Amino acid sequence: MNQESVMHYQVDPWNYYMMRVRRRRMEEEDEMERVMRIVSESAVVIFSSSSCCMCHAMKSLFCGMGVNTMVHELDQDSKGKQMEKTLMRLLATNSTTLPVVFIGGKLVGSMDTLLAFHVNGSLVPLLKQAGALWL
Amino acid sequence: MASQRIGELDFSEPYGIHHRINNPSSSLINDQGSGFDFGELEEAIGLQGVKIRNDETKASFFTGKPAATLEMFPSWPMRFHQSSIGGTNNKSGGESSDSALSSKNENPFEPESPLSKKASSFCSSDQLQHLQLQQDMTNNNDVIKTASSPKSAHEKLQRKGGGSTSDNKPLDAKTLRRLAQNREAARKSRLRKKAYVQQLESSRLKLTQLEQDLQRARSQGMFMDWSGGVGSNISSGAMFDMEYARWLEEDNRLLTELRNGLEAALSDNEMRVMVEGYLCHYDEVFRVKGVTAKADVFHVINGGWTSQAERCFLWIGGFRPSEIIMMLIQQLEAVAEQQIMGMYGLRHSSQQAEEALSQGLDQLQQSVVDTIAGAPLVDGVQQMVVAVGKLANLEGFLRQADNLRQQTLHQLCRLLTVRQAARSFLVIGEYYARLRALSSLWASRSRDQTIITSDENSCQTTTDMQMLQPSHNHFSSF
Repeated sequence: MNQESVMHYQVDPWNYYMMRVRRRRMEEEDEMERVMRIVSESAVVIFSSSSCCMCHAMKSLFCGMGVNTMVHELDQDSKGKQMEKTLMRLLATNSTTLPVVFIGGKLVGSMDTLLAFHVNGSLVPLLKQAGALWL
Repeated sequence: MASQRIGELDFSEPYGIHHRINNPSSSLINDQGSGFDFGELEEAIGLQGVKIRNDETKASFFTGKPAATLEMFPSWPMRFHQSSIGGTNNKSGGESSDSALSSKNENPFEPESPLSKKASSFCSSDQLQHLQLQQDMTNNNDVIKTASSPKSAHEKLQRKGGGSTSDNKPLDAKTLRRLAQNREAARKSRLRKKAYVQQLESSRLKLTQLEQDLQRARSQGMFMDWSGGVGSNISSGAMFDMEYARWLEEDNRLLTELRNGLEAALSDNEMRVMVEGYLCHYDEVFRVKGVTAKADVFHVINGGWTSQAERCFLWIGGFRPSEIIMMLIQQLEAVAEQQIMGMYGLRHSSQQAEEALSQGLDQLQQSVVDTIAGAPLVDGVQQMVVAVGKLANLEGFLRQADNLRQQTLHQLCRLLTVRQAARSFLVIGEYYARLRALSSLWASRSRDQTIITSDENSCQTTTDMQMLQPSHNHFSSF
């Protein structure tokens, strides 16, 4: 692979560049697919970090509501950094925004969006719809 | 009554200052120390008016004089010009002036009438009598009665009036002297007025410059603090205290407006506008808190900007939304069943959110404590850096707490009708006003207490014994 890229560089810089862009895009798509796969596995999925306190707050919020959540600790995942980048791209923001929550396979957002939904009264129906909450 | 008489005075542009200065005018007249006296000016003008009217009635003698006097007031309206230019026009001018005076209606010259009205407010009683005499003069050329006044212009008038009534052909020298004196007085008045106007203009400019500087300094002060306090003496905490004080004043004003609106039973649309405005007002304080938290999170989260009682009940740098909702449920009247259910639901969700945020904050505290406590005695810089990094999360918690408060208030407005929302804002405002009053009452009470307790030191031991008794009873049950 390296030899290939070196040869390309020697011969055609533009193609080499395009090849790199394409590879990055494929990786991103892979990452996105991976994320999508993870979030579809469970009704409520939280991407968090084990040392982050806001993530702890989000986990306790769902626990307090009696909702079972699947938590993905990105700092313990080998590809955690890339996943974090993918999430940042999804949220269209440049700052690290953990925790991020998905409900029913769909992106909800960060803590402030979650709280806004909860105060709105739209979180509970959403959870019921996703099958995470009964009653 | 004075306005009708002054209608004849025909003030115009040079006295444009009258348009601007309204209320302080009367104080100007009384305040001789201000350096400008409208009174003398009025008298001088009045004299001129009287003079010219005299000229009209004695057409033959004064054809030359009005031209000389009119040079001083080049912007007199055309009427006077006409009356002075030709002897043939004198009578018509005189009649028109008479009619204007006797009509007791609005002056036909539009730009003069507001001025004349204002001029009326300027006149002290002296001028009132002085103006009255003009009317007398035009009507029947009677003896002029003036109040005893030390002003030289009045003396001039008396002399002049006496002269004109007793003598139909006053001496040239006398009138010339009087004219000259009038000229002098008018010129001096004009100069004084000019100086005063210049003074006003310069102070106005200074005021606007100061305001601009203040605005700039305020915005720069906050900005500079973010970049490390370069060149700014005001800390962001003190800046926030000032901003909060201003916000409180605005709050009071808006609440009074809401109260008046409710009492006046304004339409729903107008009330909605006010309620929206009040919500924006709250959004503003949350925004400023967020901005300040970036610079000084501890000041905001510890509530250094609140009164003591407020600080006691503080939750992450502000009010606890569920408590406010509970208070509103208890205090609001005329709320429908459905709305009460909605408010209970809102309280429940905000309680859960508060619980979650509190737990998160507890974990943060635990983590920081562990980091600092676990640092080695020597060269624990690494841990300190980690701890500082963890403390940065405080800002995030404050932001989430403020976000929760903001969302709760907005949802409250969605649940309630416009009037109920206005009333709930009034209840909240009143609650905080009472908390602040409680703080100040407590402060004054504790001041009195320190004076009293110093006298009661001898009784201290007995009270301690009494305090111990109940604790014994507690343990006896075990």
